[in-house]
Amino acid sequence: MTKENNNHYDVIVIGGGITGAGTARDCAMRGLKVLLVERHDLSTGATGRNHGLMHSGARYAVTDHESATECIRENMILRKIARHCVEETDGLFITLPEDDLKFQSLFVQKCGEAGISAEIIDPQLAKVMEPAVNPNLIGAVKVPDASVDPFRLTMANVLDAQLHGAETLIYHEVIDVLIEQNRVIGVKLRNNHNGETINAYASVTINAAGIWGTLIAKMAGVKINMFPAKGSLLIFGHRVNHMVINRCRKPANADILVPDDAVCVIGTTSDRVPIETCDDMRVTPEEVEVLLAEGMKLAPSLGTTRILRAYAGVRPLVASDDDPSGRSISRGIVTLDHEKRDGLAGFITITGGKMMTYRLMAEEVTNLACEKLGLTKKCETATTPLPGSEPKEETKKYSFSQKAAQGRHGTLNESVDRGDVSSDALVCECEGVSVGEVRYAVTKLHVHNLINLRRRTRVGMGTCQGELCACRAAGVMCSDDKGAQKAINDLSGFMNERWKGMQPVAWGDNLAEAQLTAKIYQGLLGVDRLANERRVEYYEI
Amino acid sequence: MTTQTQTQNVSVNNFEQCLKCSICTVYCPVSAVTPLYPGPKQAGPDGERYRLKNKEFFDEALKMCLNCKRCEVACPNDVHIGDIIQAARIKYSTHKPSLRDMMLANTDFVGTMASPFAPIANPILKLKPMKAVLHGVMKIDKHRTFPDYSSRKFESWFKKEAAPTQDQYSKHVSYFHGCYVNYNYPQLGKDFVKVMNAVGYGVHLLEKEKCCGVALIANGMPKQAKRQGKVNMNSMRKAIAQGHPILTTSSTCTFTMRDEYDHLLGIDNHDVRDSLSLATRFLFQLIEKGEIKLAFNEDYHKRVAYHSACHMERMGWVPYSTRMLRMIPGIDFVMLESQCCGISGTYGFKKENYERSQAIGKGLFDQIDEVNPDCVATDCETCKWQVEMSTGVPVMNPISIIAEALDVETTRKLNNLD
Amino acid sequence: MKFDIIIIGGGLSGLTAGIALAEAGKDVALVSAGQSTLHFTGGTLDLLGCDEQGNYVQKPLEAIETLNSKHPYKKLENVSSLAGVAKKLLERAGIATTGNETSNHWRITPIGGLMPTWLSMEGMSTVEEPNQMPWRKVALVNIINYLDLPTKFLAAGLREKGVEVDVKTVTLPELKELRQSPTEMRSTNIAKVIENNDLIAKLADEVNGVASEGYDMVLLPAVLGVTNGDKSQQLLKLINAPATYVATLPPSVPGVRMQTLLRKRFNALGGTFFTGDQVVEGIFDGNTLKGVKTAKLEDTVLEADNFILATGSFVSRGLVADYNHVYEPALGVDVDDLGLDRKTWAKIDVTEAQPYMEMGVKTDSELHCLCNGAAVNNLYAAGSILNGHNSIKLLDGAGVDMLTALQVVNNIMK
Repeated sequence: MTKENNNHYDVIVIGGGITGAGTARDCAMRGLKVLLVERHDLSTGATGRNHGLMHSGARYAVTDHESATECIRENMILRKIARHCVEETDGLFITLPEDDLKFQSLFVQKCGEAGISAEIIDPQLAKVMEPAVNPNLIGAVKVPDASVDPFRLTMANVLDAQLHGAETLIYHEVIDVLIEQNRVIGVKLRNNHNGETINAYASVTINAAGIWGTLIAKMAGVKINMFPAKGSLLIFGHRVNHMVINRCRKPANADILVPDDAVCVIGTTSDRVPIETCDDMRVTPEEVEVLLAEGMKLAPSLGTTRILRAYAGVRPLVASDDDPSGRSISRGIVTLDHEKRDGLAGFITITGGKMMTYRLMAEEVTNLACEKLGLTKKCETATTPLPGSEPKEETKKYSFSQKAAQGRHGTLNESVDRGDVSSDALVCECEGVSVGEVRYAVTKLHVHNLINLRRRTRVGMGTCQGELCACRAAGVMCSDDKGAQKAINDLSGFMNERWKGMQPVAWGDNLAEAQLTAKIYQGLLGVDRLANERRVEYYEI
Repeated sequence: MTTQTQTQNVSVNNFEQCLKCSICTVYCPVSAVTPLYPGPKQAGPDGERYRLKNKEFFDEALKMCLNCKRCEVACPNDVHIGDIIQAARIKYSTHKPSLRDMMLANTDFVGTMASPFAPIANPILKLKPMKAVLHGVMKIDKHRTFPDYSSRKFESWFKKEAAPTQDQYSKHVSYFHGCYVNYNYPQLGKDFVKVMNAVGYGVHLLEKEKCCGVALIANGMPKQAKRQGKVNMNSMRKAIAQGHPILTTSSTCTFTMRDEYDHLLGIDNHDVRDSLSLATRFLFQLIEKGEIKLAFNEDYHKRVAYHSACHMERMGWVPYSTRMLRMIPGIDFVMLESQCCGISGTYGFKKENYERSQAIGKGLFDQIDEVNPDCVATDCETCKWQVEMSTGVPVMNPISIIAEALDVETTRKLNNLD
Repeated sequence: MKFDIIIIGGGLSGLTAGIALAEAGKDVALVSAGQSTLHFTGGTLDLLGCDEQGNYVQKPLEAIETLNSKHPYKKLENVSSLAGVAKKLLERAGIATTGNETSNHWRITPIGGLMPTWLSMEGMSTVEEPNQMPWRKVALVNIINYLDLPTKFLAAGLREKGVEVDVKTVTLPELKELRQSPTEMRSTNIAKVIENNDLIAKLADEVNGVASEGYDMVLLPAVLGVTNGDKSQQLLKLINAPATYVATLPPSVPGVRMQTLLRKRFNALGGTFFTGDQVVEGIFDGNTLKGVKTAKLEDTVLEADNFILATGSFVSRGLVADYNHVYEPALGVDVDDLGLDRKTWAKIDVTEAQPYMEMGVKTDSELHCLCNGAAVNNLYAAGSILNGHNSIKLLDGAGVDMLTALQVVNNIMK
């Protein structure tokens, strides 16, 4: 934060998830002076804990026409503006013998009404198109589902916001909302690394904190009834499927299998949880059981594929009734103008919605902010490619790690140092992360610790979950002597964070892997004995 | 419920069993001598995971893999690293084999061409101008001594000299002699017949024998290898139907036909596999069961150093040969530390691989110098070329050593043949 | 195939037993499914580094007395004498070590910690007292672009203990060449490049060039001596100041060397090594194990008078956990799963003592394996596969591996 401008902004956006990042980008592109604040890392909340599914909207077609139409519109936009975050896999909605095939025709009809291309295909053809699919299927519909990397998408939005002048503060937590005469004038921030507090002021403060938005609202003295719905997922060791596989029935547990980068993800469960537990979500053995059993109905080979980890997120749904499952609640976007709603000026909450519709949410809330600030500039986020997704001809011959890095950073891959032996050396062998890419992430992508680095580069996200790469990466990141103790604490915390996702699925090769990792980090290196502090962020999944 | 869910979290996708421990990289002979090869872990399980995401991640540098399988032997978690690498080459490589590769790979074709002209071919292959042509045009390294081509193929010798007497025995085996015995070193085949006859087994050739295809696989010609493999399997089925076990004297041919046919070429060999064995193993098992006995000449003395050929090591059969050799009273036996000699079939013949090949074998050559044996014993013919060329120490197949030490008369008596 | 004794498992424990038995004139076979966890160690062997409360131990023999009754050490007749035997056995295999069982010394970990240990291979960097560093000024010399020794951590750790540290780097054209590989600049490949190309003197020159004067210790990554100790000693001798090696991230050069030398010793004694093979079935006759079948020998049964199971823990597949059970896959002998189900095998905090670490096969007081509750009279277990101890928390892995193996040998020879 620069000193001379007195910490004064047009807009403060609270929350470094995809909604906050998208909002910061939109506001900045309209010429506003923006500060984006996040208490932990970017995309730590629901943004980083979902399937990575780029919905076609088909899933909502039958139950929620509005969401479905929003989805397909945004789906088409993201394919253009976030090319490097999206993989155009297409998706199948399959009908199994125990499902009612009649649902299929309703499904196709409703998709059509929402503008979603839904093509009934022969089950035999479906097996050819997606060999991993349950061979007993009796029906299949092809839809334009895709896979999207939420970490990259969030980062790209933040980068573009910064290119348009926005400032970003991660590990800065809002501990108070500053109010003067029924107007929010800014926020009090605590630096979660050193405990220092600062005030930041803005004409408009946007609450985009997901499920935690209810706590922000409380600080501002207004009430939002959120409905925290926990969803658990499992990550498998490699891509079993190349198309998204869904069940063609009303949404239920564990009925979506998404190919993401080098892995695939099955989810989710859905259970209402108390807001207090949202900071430390754990996957229970029962959830693992359900995910596996249901997942194997989509793709039987999941039963014989290594599971890397389990994780859970919380959907930021706005409660509207007492439905205990949360499935019937609309995923619709909720924009709360607290001036109108509660008589509190300068404060807007954007919530509900889905990762899929983040851009639309950002557009809506930015429109409202602009209206309050008397600005008329139109939204351009739907047509301007994100950094990394600019159209470019690809002619170069890349090495393994360069190809992997290109997948992660798109055209920004050009900024990664390479060509000299020192930069090309691999830190993470599973995911092909080079020293150059680590350095690039550290200098350009808000990396303070190994967990940040993992989200930016996939270090430690591969088969071994950090067995050797975590120590190498910590060594590369560590700047000097003074940083060494901090880096060792970071390393210890990182290994614990990796383990947290492995523990619910610690049997078979995973248990052997865990023992090997413990042998290296605790037995050989003695990391646990040298670490003298654990920070809150290390408990993040 | 739980019976349907994961029973192991052990993947049927073998590459996922990899714990990323990196042990394989310690034992890879190639990555130790060149930085251009990504190493077994990267080329194998790590790369496979990304290739499954997108075939663009295939790297032609995988052709540098010797297919020695030492990574697999070292792997504590039974990851078939070498298979993964070779299978990826077969699946994704767009590299077309060169004329040179085709020539080296077609061991039997070249053998057929060279044998009738052996008196001419051998001196010519050794002449400097010829070597220069091979080196320059064909890119076969000039340092290589081409194995001599025998003027009389083993098959011709067998049909004339041995075949007529084989039916007098009450028990029978079929012999897959391989290209090397046929074209380059018929003596090994003769030794085999001598030993088998001495213990009361008649030897027969297969109806049709093709090169096992190991060189074709290595040189990127899996389709031809598959065709030849099918011919071999069919011939063997006929022999098995007659009650013949099928024996070889080459660890590599055996390994290729027992394991690579199924793992890499997709040839169904399950009905043949159990009947296909290495001669030393077959003999050892008979001796153990008390079905045959061997007697050796008392005045036989030899200091023998045993070299574990890569594919012998991979099959896990080294102790059959070494325990056979140790049965010979006059042998002063030394076990060499197991490591690759660097030739890997046709690999070391290629100009671009020559230095690498010699560097790989250096440790072994040094060991042999140190041990200073009368001969090196090994079950692989290409190791023989490499070790003889690089150390000057003669190399013998264990069967040849047994034949040399064997007291035929006493053996025949012990086996009630006279 | 018939032997006097068959050992299943080719790691530290199996090889210790194999060598001891072969030295006693037995015909021994060893079946090994791949290389061992020695590859992840740091050239040092621990006997007991911590007590059950997690405190470092200076006098291991005394601390062993305090261990709970389930610990494998409680089945040893004389820990002190077995420890002495172990050290001598290593020596005969060409593995010279410093240290003894009466008092631990301290090894320097790759990230600059000090941990108590029993025996250190010659040339490894160790100190006698954790609070009294013997060096005033140290040159920490790494190889350029070698990522598996985090020198910043190591230097910081030493500085914290009052040592002045200068971090230096060296390279050679051949090592630059090796670094062209993004993945394969590992400790063992560095060792091979230096050793196979006779570069030890050149490397020493480089080290002397950057650490010329004023250092009372030069610390080097343990990247030399992959096949024998001579080459690693050769380098140290050529360095002007006293010099020692610090362990690196795996694969460990000293660990590989130890494995290689033990195996060589076993071979030289006439032992038979079945490499890369797994025992898949035991053939029992009542409470006697008659023979074992392996994956690769197919119909050949390996028979022996006595058998030793030394296949290690989960990481070596001596134990396997499936969705419901923990079992011993080779022979199906009884496993102590602490009475836990999958939900409680592992705790959520990775640094806590993990219950799965204490799982292992059950044995009677003479280390006979149990099968359906009854002791198998000619089948013993040794090493990490034994239940009742957490080698990561107690730092007792190598000691359990070697001493239980030697005890089993004694029990067999009785």
